[in-house]
Amino acid sequence: MNLRVVGANLVVSLKSFYREKTAMFFTTMFPILLILVFGTIFMDDDKLHFNLYLQDLDQTDASAEIAEALAATGKLNIITVDPAVDAAKSTEDSKANLVLVIPKGYQESFMQYLQFGDPNAFVTLSYVYDPSSSSVVEKMQLLDGVFAAINQRLSAKPPFIRTTEVSIHTRKYRFLEFFIPGIIAMAIMTESLFGTVHVNTELRQKGIIRKLATTPITRADWILANILHQFILAVISTTLMLLVSYAVFGIQLDINAWLPLFIVLAVFSFVGIGMVLTRIVKEAQSASAAANAIMFPMMFLSGSFFPLEMMPDFLQSFAKTLPLYYLNEGLRAAMVVNDSVTALHNAAVIGAFAAVVFILGLVVTQWEEGA
Amino acid sequence: MGNETEYAIEVEHLSKRYGGDLAVNNISFKVRKGEVFALLGPNGAGKTTTVEIIETIRRPTSGKVRLLGMDVTRKKYDIVRRIGVLPQGFSSFDRITVRETMEYYSRLFGHSHTDIDELIALVNLTDKTGEQYTTLSGGLKQRLGIAIALVNDPEVVFLDEPTTGLDPRARRQVWDVLLGLKKKGKTVFLTTHYMEEAELLADTVAIISKGSAIAMGSPDQLIEGNADYLLLTLQSVDPRALEIIAQMGFTPEQDNRAILVRVAQTDDIRKILNAIEDGGASFLSMDVRKPNLEQVFLKLTGEALHQDTVGEQGAQ
Repeated sequence: MNLRVVGANLVVSLKSFYREKTAMFFTTMFPILLILVFGTIFMDDDKLHFNLYLQDLDQTDASAEIAEALAATGKLNIITVDPAVDAAKSTEDSKANLVLVIPKGYQESFMQYLQFGDPNAFVTLSYVYDPSSSSVVEKMQLLDGVFAAINQRLSAKPPFIRTTEVSIHTRKYRFLEFFIPGIIAMAIMTESLFGTVHVNTELRQKGIIRKLATTPITRADWILANILHQFILAVISTTLMLLVSYAVFGIQLDINAWLPLFIVLAVFSFVGIGMVLTRIVKEAQSASAAANAIMFPMMFLSGSFFPLEMMPDFLQSFAKTLPLYYLNEGLRAAMVVNDSVTALHNAAVIGAFAAVVFILGLVVTQWEEGA
Repeated sequence: MGNETEYAIEVEHLSKRYGGDLAVNNISFKVRKGEVFALLGPNGAGKTTTVEIIETIRRPTSGKVRLLGMDVTRKKYDIVRRIGVLPQGFSSFDRITVRETMEYYSRLFGHSHTDIDELIALVNLTDKTGEQYTTLSGGLKQRLGIAIALVNDPEVVFLDEPTTGLDPRARRQVWDVLLGLKKKGKTVFLTTHYMEEAELLADTVAIISKGSAIAMGSPDQLIEGNADYLLLTLQSVDPRALEIIAQMGFTPEQDNRAILVRVAQTDDIRKILNAIEDGGASFLSMDVRKPNLEQVFLKLTGEALHQDTVGEQGAQ
């Protein structure tokens, strides 16, 4: 190992990266754009708000009280639909995914129930909805909750089963605070894996590796320089992501010694995978496709963007074989809930993976024979 | 450190096989220190494989190769410090400038005392030091490659097809640099498929075809040893001359308005000129010359040295 040689390679790599403006922009800015987009979408995730189209066919004081009760939840913005139009057609035409229809005779049934105590008196409100809409189920659950509460009050009995929220953490966490460690993990994976594969196949294709094989640089010097290069990029990228997240969304994440440790382990893991891929794939273009084929499934199956609980059991089991899963879990344990035991467990798993895959990469990386 | 001899390179019974293909077949030769040695052969003849084995990039299937007295399969890191290499199709880091590239390779060799400005001047790139590699023309890139090959002040310089793909002007500029190296007394190992390059620069030429060395010597020796005829060229000749020469038992070839005739001795030339005069035909000028390396190569191998020879000569 020659540190002068490693340093020379590192300087050339960093200058090449800095001067390749397009690549630099996409490498550093893409994760930040994701944070800005998702951060804006989920900025007020506690203040979930829906438009509710309401068609009141009864047009009575009692039916107006329904609209008032719905508006009082603070989560629904009531938009009135003309009683003369067809609700289904209105749903389709106005692109409203759900129209709540209060039927004619609502007040009459209501009075019968209230004044005469007729237990068989009831009224049916209709949800006229578009099943292709992703938010319609959530909207119906919200309405069901509102109507269940009204029914409860009408029964004049206190509820038997009551609930209370007891968080295991001292403070409430925002969606963004779980999301950002996932994006940091994804960015490190993309930069380290894609960077290693792309740069090495391109240099090999251009004959630069062959030229370097006639100089005193060793395979170990070359690989160490690549590792340092990827580590520096990962630190810069992570720092930028955290700065933007703090400045724009005011997130609260713990920055402690676990973060650099996870970055190091992640860089070794994904550079190792990149070295193995570089050995298998010869052309720069095919190498990019191969890297994407590995990265994209891992990105979506490892819980970077959404919780694993949403996936079928077999995919959840599969996710636990992926290094990105342990990086996500480890970073969240360290940065969000400050759980050192969980962070250590995940660091151990990804550390073992990094050791195996990096040694494999070292073994298969060719330097001579036109490597 | 190996045993130093008068030879910079010693190749004995070298063979290299890729699967079922024999790329180099039992080649042997020696290169003296301070000489320019050219390995001449068409594309696919095994030149690059041979030179890459000597440069320690590839390992031989069989045979022995010693460079500056050291076994190339065992002393890679001692050898690479003492050689300079311009690989075939040389390329460098796109976004790194000429000066930065030179500094980078200088650091790899640990040559802090290298006079980079002098090397850049040697290859006439002084006004390009701040330009990134990607912006240089093909000729400038090759010249940078040669400067890089000299950055560690090597004892042996390998140049693998240094002028392939360059236009005639750029090729001559590279030749000027190589002639400068020759004057400095560097041992230069040149692989090329340009006959005129080998003739101009090389002290010794080895002709390689289909993985085997088929002739070796100085350009003059190769021509003398294989030239058993003279080539008579008559320019702007009267068409009747063709018939007259054919009737004398020679085999003339017409090339536009010139006639080319192979003759065994100078007396035949006199006979042909007399016959043309007696037949009332005329010509503007005449030229008698020995065959060149290209024709020697054709005779020895039965294949053209490189496919674009005719086109390039026509263009020039």
